[in-house]
Amino acid sequence: MNAVEVRDLSRSFDGRDILRDVSFTVGHGEIFGYLGPNGAGKTTTIRILLGLLAPGAGEVRVLGRDLAADDDARARVGVLFENNGLADRMSAADNLAYYAGLYGVDDPGERIDDLLALVDLTDRRDEKVGTFSTGMKRKLGIARAILHRPEVVFLDEPSSGLDPGAQRMVRDLILELSRREEMTVFLNSHHLDEVQRICSTVAILAGGRIRAFDSVANLTNASGRPVVTITLAGPGERSRAHDIAAELPYVMACEMEGGSLHCTLADPGTTPDLVTALVGAGFRIEEVRRSSRSLEEIYLEHVGQTEGGA
Amino acid sequence: MNTFAVIARREMKLALSNRSVLITAFIFSIWFPVMSTLGIAVSAEGDAMTVTAGIATITLPVAIFLGYIFCADAFLREKRDGTIETLLCTPVSLQRLWEGKVAGITVPAYGMMLLSVAVSAAAVSNFTGVSIITEPLFLVHLVFVVPVWIAAAAGLIGAAQFALGMRENQILGFVFIFGFFFIIFTLQSITPGGSSLSTTVEGVLAVAGLLLLALARFIAGRVTRERIVRTIP
Repeated sequence: MNAVEVRDLSRSFDGRDILRDVSFTVGHGEIFGYLGPNGAGKTTTIRILLGLLAPGAGEVRVLGRDLAADDDARARVGVLFENNGLADRMSAADNLAYYAGLYGVDDPGERIDDLLALVDLTDRRDEKVGTFSTGMKRKLGIARAILHRPEVVFLDEPSSGLDPGAQRMVRDLILELSRREEMTVFLNSHHLDEVQRICSTVAILAGGRIRAFDSVANLTNASGRPVVTITLAGPGERSRAHDIAAELPYVMACEMEGGSLHCTLADPGTTPDLVTALVGAGFRIEEVRRSSRSLEEIYLEHVGQTEGGA
Repeated sequence: MNTFAVIARREMKLALSNRSVLITAFIFSIWFPVMSTLGIAVSAEGDAMTVTAGIATITLPVAIFLGYIFCADAFLREKRDGTIETLLCTPVSLQRLWEGKVAGITVPAYGMMLLSVAVSAAAVSNFTGVSIITEPLFLVHLVFVVPVWIAAAAGLIGAAQFALGMRENQILGFVFIFGFFFIIFTLQSITPGGSSLSTTVEGVLAVAGLLLLALARFIAGRVTRERIVRTIP
């Protein structure tokens, strides 16, 4: 059973299709990036998954349950929307204590102390949240979202409105939480750099449809570009290195540029074989680097197609 | 602690920390009742029973308005800033959320109401020499009828604020208040001895307040999460 399952999900508002036949799954323990331009339907998908909106057609499951009709299942899920869900006139500790009461957290005092230490807000625990910076509120919002040790946490644009330093802080925090709390993270974002750095799988939503759904590694290692760049040490007979590589059956294309050999491989897993062949032919290798497309290129390719054609 | 108490305690805390709401509530619950009671005392020519009945009559409109003022912070603000969306994702039912909020509003509004009665009585005693009669019916009115009407007003207005959009809420807030005023004055005018303190009047007001509270609870139970989320600005 997957942590999140979406099958043929469609939803329209006032006659306008927002989601059309959206399907994807998120495995347990994954950090999943849900990408798309503003208005693509990302937040609508999250709201449907959380049971806040009904699906027009199709089926959604979180931990195998329908959150709209299941209070107990909602206790196993955490969520951070853009507004953090905090009361400005209450202290950081009181805000967390409130949610601890709603979720029935055991030994809330210790858990709150732990989380405030984790998000580096122990010194501000008794100060009103209204006096906090946007970044501090976001950190406290994340602490609130995971207070009850959810198995799945939905983060809706967690870096929105933050400066680069705070964005990095939130990114590191998500990674730390995923590792420490072993939870599935559903990250709704259009910060492509952030998603590429921390997510294992992504889905790109545009025009209400899923345009791509795969692991970040598979998407960024897509064919059509050099996959491996090998820098040769010393002058040597470089044209011979090119000829040797070009004759290998798993090398689809090969090009020598300066001291570097760019090879497009049929399978990225054959990189060691290529290196062995070159070393066996007497070449000394200084560096082997796997080149890939950035998530941004892939995203723009899919979103651009949609905006141009849909 | 159960979720009802958790929500109610938090709403009370927030209500008591909102300076602008407290100032508005204080001005309205002191100025209007004191002035009205002094007027009644002068026209009643020192009749303590008439003054007491006058205070009882004034308490209900004031209670309703206090419920409305505190609702704006507990229901409307959380909808406007989107906090309600996070609360709807907790394992707490919407009806329990509504119940906790209504209880959390009713307590400080009721406290303000009692303060209002005390100040009115003191002012009348000081300026006219008339003492308020602490007869049982007046105590029943203060202890039972007034909090029920505060809860009914807060409950109905809160349920409407959950279900309606921001613009509709701006318009309908006052419609609800005047609707409540209309119900009270209609009940008092059709009940024998309506403007005085009587068992019949207090009984009718108590039953009507409980029915309105039950209606509010029914409506709150019919509001859906989708309805609330789709009316968040």
